[in-house]
Amino acid sequence: MVRLGRSFTLRSLKSKETKVLTKLRDFNYLEPSTLPEALFLLHHYDGRAKILAGGTDLVIQMKQKKLTPEYVINLKKISGLDYIEYNGQWLRIGPLVTHSMVAGSPVIQKNFPMLADACLAVGAPQTRNRGTLAGNLCNASPSADTPPALIALGAKLKMESSEGERVMNVEDFFSSPFATALKNSEMLTEIKIPSLPARSGGAYLWVPKVTAVDETLVGVGVLLTLNSDKRCTEARIGLGSVGPAPIRAHKTEEFLKGKRIEPKLFAEAGEVSASEVSPRSRGDYRREMIKVFVRRALDQALGKIEEAI
Amino acid sequence: MEHLINLRINGEPYEVRIKPNTTLVDFLRDKIGLTGTKKGCDTGQCGACTVLLDGKPINSCLVLAADTNGKEILTVEGLGRDGKLHPLQETFMQEGAVQCGYCTSGMLLSAKALLDENPSPGEEEVKKAIAGNLCRCTGYVRIVKAVLVAARKMGG
Amino acid sequence: MSEYSAIGKAIPRIDALEKITGQAIYGDDLKFPNMLYAKALRSEYAHARILNINIEKAKKLSGVKAVVTGKDTPFLGGEALMDYPFLAIDKVRYVGEAIAAVAAVDEETAEEAIELIEVEYDPLHVLLDPQKAMELGAPLIHEKMHTYQRLAVIKPIENTNICHVLQFLKGDVNHGFDESDFFFEDTFTTQMVQHGAIEPHMAIAQVDPSGKITVWVTNDSPHRLRQDLSSSMGIPLKKLRVISPPYVGGNFGGKGGLKVETLCIPLALKTDHKPVKMVLTREEVFTSSLVRHPGIVTLRTGVKKDGRIWAREAKVIYDTGAYAEKGPTVCHQACVAAVGPYKIPNVKVDGYCVYTNKPIAGAYRGYGIPQVAWAHESQMDIIARQLGIDPVQIRLKNGVEEGDVSPTGQQKLNSVGLKECIKKVAESVDWSRPKEKYRGQGIACAFKNTKTPSGSSAIVIVSQDGTVEVLASTVEIGQGSKTILAQMVAEELGVPVENIIMAIPDTDITPFDASTTSSRSTFHMGNAVKKAAKDAKDQILVIAADMLNADSSDLMIERGLIFSKKNPSKKLTISQVIKNEYKAGLDIIGRNSFYPVADGETGGMWSAPSIFWMYGAHYAEVEVDIETGRVKILKVVGAHDVGKAINPFTCLGQIEGGMVHGIGPALFEEMIIGERGQVENTSFLDYKMPRSLDIPEITSIIVEAHHREGPWGAKGIGEMTVVPMAAAIANAIDDAVGVRIKDLPITPDKILRVLKEKGNP
Repeated sequence: MVRLGRSFTLRSLKSKETKVLTKLRDFNYLEPSTLPEALFLLHHYDGRAKILAGGTDLVIQMKQKKLTPEYVINLKKISGLDYIEYNGQWLRIGPLVTHSMVAGSPVIQKNFPMLADACLAVGAPQTRNRGTLAGNLCNASPSADTPPALIALGAKLKMESSEGERVMNVEDFFSSPFATALKNSEMLTEIKIPSLPARSGGAYLWVPKVTAVDETLVGVGVLLTLNSDKRCTEARIGLGSVGPAPIRAHKTEEFLKGKRIEPKLFAEAGEVSASEVSPRSRGDYRREMIKVFVRRALDQALGKIEEAI
Repeated sequence: MEHLINLRINGEPYEVRIKPNTTLVDFLRDKIGLTGTKKGCDTGQCGACTVLLDGKPINSCLVLAADTNGKEILTVEGLGRDGKLHPLQETFMQEGAVQCGYCTSGMLLSAKALLDENPSPGEEEVKKAIAGNLCRCTGYVRIVKAVLVAARKMGG
Repeated sequence: MSEYSAIGKAIPRIDALEKITGQAIYGDDLKFPNMLYAKALRSEYAHARILNINIEKAKKLSGVKAVVTGKDTPFLGGEALMDYPFLAIDKVRYVGEAIAAVAAVDEETAEEAIELIEVEYDPLHVLLDPQKAMELGAPLIHEKMHTYQRLAVIKPIENTNICHVLQFLKGDVNHGFDESDFFFEDTFTTQMVQHGAIEPHMAIAQVDPSGKITVWVTNDSPHRLRQDLSSSMGIPLKKLRVISPPYVGGNFGGKGGLKVETLCIPLALKTDHKPVKMVLTREEVFTSSLVRHPGIVTLRTGVKKDGRIWAREAKVIYDTGAYAEKGPTVCHQACVAAVGPYKIPNVKVDGYCVYTNKPIAGAYRGYGIPQVAWAHESQMDIIARQLGIDPVQIRLKNGVEEGDVSPTGQQKLNSVGLKECIKKVAESVDWSRPKEKYRGQGIACAFKNTKTPSGSSAIVIVSQDGTVEVLASTVEIGQGSKTILAQMVAEELGVPVENIIMAIPDTDITPFDASTTSSRSTFHMGNAVKKAAKDAKDQILVIAADMLNADSSDLMIERGLIFSKKNPSKKLTISQVIKNEYKAGLDIIGRNSFYPVADGETGGMWSAPSIFWMYGAHYAEVEVDIETGRVKILKVVGAHDVGKAINPFTCLGQIEGGMVHGIGPALFEEMIIGERGQVENTSFLDYKMPRSLDIPEITSIIVEAHHREGPWGAKGIGEMTVVPMAAAIANAIDDAVGVRIKDLPITPDKILRVLKEKGNP
């Protein structure tokens, strides 16, 4: 029986702050010319400073009064932070690389096309031209597009402070909405992605929330590796917008490992993925979409492998 | 504290002192007096405030004016040259791509950036290029057509 | 084939050049010396008594020039029912209602000052469901409703939250049901949506030393606003001047009625003649301007086995939010159209306009008719499927024609292009083609009235050099009125369109116009400018007749040249004629006041007969992904009867724009209300309007069913173009995958749920 709709929809979410500022509150604006200088400032102002890369997240949040930094540290006077380098083993992306730059990079289109796809899913041209890959990761929106793709690609994140540096797997970087492992004095300075193993194929697929250009309702990144016997030697699966943070679908990966590729396998993998997620809003629908899109992404990844053979 | 910035707007050099909490759209509209760039939402969603920053379309409501030191900005007022309209401006007029006009400045600049990079786009590419520009009046149909006609006019 | 010089010509808009060069001036571009900036403090409660407002700290902040609260504004305004306070008085009725306002030297200071205002509330029971709000004994949102001034036609039910109730009867529906072979009962709902004009609302108010208040405002109806301000504030019209900025960036009904000026004016009265400007943030537009009435429409329909609709009963409940605004008249117009453009002998319509503690619902493109069309066109397909009759055929079988009595019985219909619209749409697609899997086609039609009676005046001034200036208060909101009114004057006077200047609406200068709403401007203001131009022309020809030694009835003007049909070689320019007559200088002034009344009109504003009805039909072809429930609209076609297309270019633009606008509420848009009554999605990120990548292939068709009283036969178009789209899409989805959704918006979640219940994979 079709549910009789109501002429309005009730939600029991907490009410949002109801004010968007027309004029940003005052702040001190700093433009260091070297990375060590930037790290020093970050350390020195301990929690009272925010990094400005593209600014598409920072400025909105300052307008919404979610962030009121006393100091804003603009990185764009520092040269050499917008690199995309691939030496055949590692792809290294600098902190000022924008989503447009990633999507338009011939090196990435050729060797890591799913990352280009994930970056094209971000916002609209204006946002992609400004927003950086690193900045977007640090903003840690649960519905961000690049984390699932980066998780599938096995990306590592380098975080630096004036005390030193550390490297972390991308899936460990996120914990809860808009929170990351970054300490106040740390900056995300590089995203590193290993080259794809032989007989690998990847895909990033996503369902928008409503319209074609929209936040992501469900994002799926997969990297499938097969052996010559058409058995899955490894599967890496990143899922986005299905819980408080993007996750690596360990159970699904386990499920696929060692199995022979046959018609029903990917659908079953989808079912396993659906059991690994805990979406809050539109939960039933999101779980359905995980089933469908994990299957479709694995199909597409398989297609890439078969094409290359 | 005010910062001194040097930039070029529509080909003209400017040296200005501004407070860092000034967004580029407010700077252009209030300080420079170029009101052709519009504010529809002030949060980077509608694209009415789109200008070209070093040739790339961005939402000027989310860029700090202080961050444009050494940059080249193009607004709708700078589209024409020597009193002549840009082909896009001509086709927008001729093809009926303008109704209330509030999204028009942003649309023109997103379209120009597209044609500068890709002189012969297809319909899908035009739609992608203006996906960040909201319009409630036209349904986008004639805007897309105007861009395609301009591309042909410009030799694409 | 064209016998006209300007009418029917697809000329580019005369305001396009200004707009594409960034030179067009809109409200926010206006700046005056010593201007102050205003911000509002808005309620966080949907329903609460205000116990205390402390503005002392705000007043003391350096840079603050004035602070006002409801104590400064003991007025109530409103067109249908005067229930609307400029600033909340004693209680707040929706989240986002303005409680206080501040004017300061800059926006930063004003925003800071707002945060210093302290308010004590006593929360009251919040009513969000209109059906609960309607119940007898429900807590009252407007305790003093029975004391409000109102239009004669408005009938509130005392001691309830129902601010207007109405009924139309024709024949006997119960008898009709008995005589029918099939009976259908369905309830359809529509959600809260918003206009989405890209330009936010603004106003600038200034009081001069004599106490005269001038307001520059993005309002669609300067004279109506002036009247509203005069009635609510109790000040004479001569003390009020409303000026429209040269251009308004989109309206769709959202910029009508008392808005931002209700905050700027009280502030301006305290700022020592300094102008006070306020621009709403996008968030404030969402919470505190207007929305479309969420509707619950129940249709009980009796049908004969050959497909004739024999009896139809409609119950229409419109949720008008915290204040009535245009609610009662929206409900009224919707009820007149509720049973659809069909020949139905037995009709009963009951309409209710109900208060709730939600954002204020008001005029929105379609004025209540999209919601009833959603119902009658969805049910028409349910009926068609059950009876095994083709959806196009069943509409042609029942559709009204020239001379038919209107469904609610008040008038005989003339200028009825309904069937032509339906046929043209069906012909333009391969309607009878074999069905493809997961793809479907749907059709829907509708009709819409215009507020009747309503008046428009115009003045046409012909200057010494032949330049023509038109004084008309129609606001150029993007619909192209400036251009087509200029075309009409050009045609009537016989001069090139380039010679016409359209004045900016200013109540001190341009004469009365009821409003730029209701799709009425082409017909009403069109007639006014046409007749004013004729008046000027007649005067010119009298003088010219003398100079040409001819009969003025033999004279013509073409491209500014006057000549006699009998002796065309002797020509005079308009300039020569005027200069010759008035050597020391003067001009020719033509005027007209147009106030048409429909046959059967029962007197007073908002009678049921409409001076004209617009008709239209939409087609949608969709493809449904049965794994995700996502709907892809492949193609839409819209045919609209406009009487006569004054400018086919702008007409087609309206049809295309309207159809895409209509897709929004059908599939994407919904304002989500939280438990406390607050709007959850107050940005374009979360309120999803169609973008370029969402549009299908679009075909627009103009149909012309000449209206004998329209200027050159023209009627109107603006609103009708959104009306049938939602039902066309729903009907296409039903055709594609057998899923019938009755509550908007149609979402993938809803479709998938039904598909799974039905056992689809």
